[in-house]
Amino acid sequence: MSSRPVALLAALALVVAAAGCGGPMRADELSRSIDTLASAAAEGALLADGAAQDRTKATFTRAHARELGETVEHEAEKLSDATANGAVATDKADAVELADRISQQLGQLQTAPDDRAGARSAGDRLRALADEATRLAEDAGP
Amino acid sequence: MKGILKIALGVIAAIGGFVDIGDLVFNAQAGASVGYSVLWAVPVGVLGIIVFAEMSGRIVAVTRKPNFVLVKERYSERLSLFTLVASLVLTCLTLAAELGGLGFVLNYFFDVSVGFFVLVALLVAAAVIAFVPFGGIERVFGYLGLALLVYAAAAVKLDPSWSAVGQGFVPEVHGDALHWYFVVGLIAAALMPYEIYFYSSGAVEERWDERDMAVNRANAIIGFGLGGLLSVAILVSSALVLGGAGVTPESLGSVALVTQVPYGELGLLLALVGILFAVGGATIDTAFSAAYNLAQHQGWRWGKRFQLVREPRFTLSLAGFLLLGFAIAQTGVDPIELTEYAVIFSIPVLPLTYLPILLVGNDRELMGRHVNGPIARTLGWAYFALICVLALAAPVLFVVTNGGS
Repeated sequence: MSSRPVALLAALALVVAAAGCGGPMRADELSRSIDTLASAAAEGALLADGAAQDRTKATFTRAHARELGETVEHEAEKLSDATANGAVATDKADAVELADRISQQLGQLQTAPDDRAGARSAGDRLRALADEATRLAEDAGP
Repeated sequence: MKGILKIALGVIAAIGGFVDIGDLVFNAQAGASVGYSVLWAVPVGVLGIIVFAEMSGRIVAVTRKPNFVLVKERYSERLSLFTLVASLVLTCLTLAAELGGLGFVLNYFFDVSVGFFVLVALLVAAAVIAFVPFGGIERVFGYLGLALLVYAAAAVKLDPSWSAVGQGFVPEVHGDALHWYFVVGLIAAALMPYEIYFYSSGAVEERWDERDMAVNRANAIIGFGLGGLLSVAILVSSALVLGGAGVTPESLGSVALVTQVPYGELGLLLALVGILFAVGGATIDTAFSAAYNLAQHQGWRWGKRFQLVREPRFTLSLAGFLLLGFAIAQTGVDPIELTEYAVIFSIPVLPLTYLPILLVGNDRELMGRHVNGPIARTLGWAYFALICVLALAAPVLFVVTNGGS
């Protein structure tokens, strides 16, 4: 097998990837980023349900809530660092604020995975935040 | 009895090879992202690995030659070296992903630190490789990995629409690039090169000969068939639990969470144990595969059937690959991202891995009465053509879908 087609494909991949770098944040990029926040919030709600009903393992709840929290914080940092114009800038600011609220609820699960009442409350809030993020992603989308 | 025990080789190849971190994640992501519509890709991939695993096992039974010896014999020196380097890079990336995955799973049990448990996983894998006989490794990891059957029970308990599940097994015309990304990924995850290297070298370790043809066939069909069943179960249950809640799984924790919803803590623990042993088995498979390939390419004496201390080059390469995988995992790279890259970028290497098996399997002079029959030959060439198409499509789909996101 000639290595030329592979090299061409790799070059194409690099060009396409490079095309996506730099410049102000696009609506589709923002929408993808908010989708990640919505997914983390929805998964946090599932995790919280298990903790609220005492149907899970505390170490799992704590470790997985930490992972989800790190995902959200990483996404928030990416959003904060990105430049944006017009409506994208407004939605981006909303997304950063939303990420902060999701992070707080995940922090509650991480800090007290055995607190059933706290988990129930975190679950409800995370579900609402996931819905909010989904709506924001739809608004922000191209 | 001996025959039944030998089927364990297929079971570990299925649980610890077929269902590795790549399969767990890809199946869960596919189910959550695009639902049942890609289910048909699972049997396509499973049939492909059955065809080539059976063929490579038969070749070993007749010629005593594992896959990389065929690569060296059938390719020019330069192409053989390219195949070796590509397979080693991909196998080491997969090994790193498996070790990283073990760190996460162990941390779900004890919550100390992922980095610490990656080190624990490395030490345990090294100890198992050094002190547990080949047959023992197969049985421990293969049978404890069967805890993953909790996903089959979960899929049933979650009560999906069975007609919708059935429709998922019928391929449909689709214009969505994400759909095709998962189709290609699911087929590729079933055909990862290290699986076939491990299977054929494992057959040499087990000293298969022409009397083992039935065991080989049963291993390939039962082992990989079971792996396929688990893949379907993970995909269906993830579609219901994660897809229904709007979750895109990004970690092994998301995959484990799927069984907690129907079965609570017991379901979660069974999933974690199954994942631990499936990923643990795959860690050992990948470490062996890398060392097997290098030793077979270089013409060294190799294999666990000999004492490792008497094969210093093979043993050192085995240790070296484990340490390399550990070093990559300790950089903090996300094992899930690593495994996605390994799955997608293994596809261009697939034709180089599978062509020699097909050529030797079709060679009447070498294989005698065990040469490929019309069904094996037709399926072999059909799958080789499919693999070539996938090799071209995979990198393009990866870019277009932004890595399936």
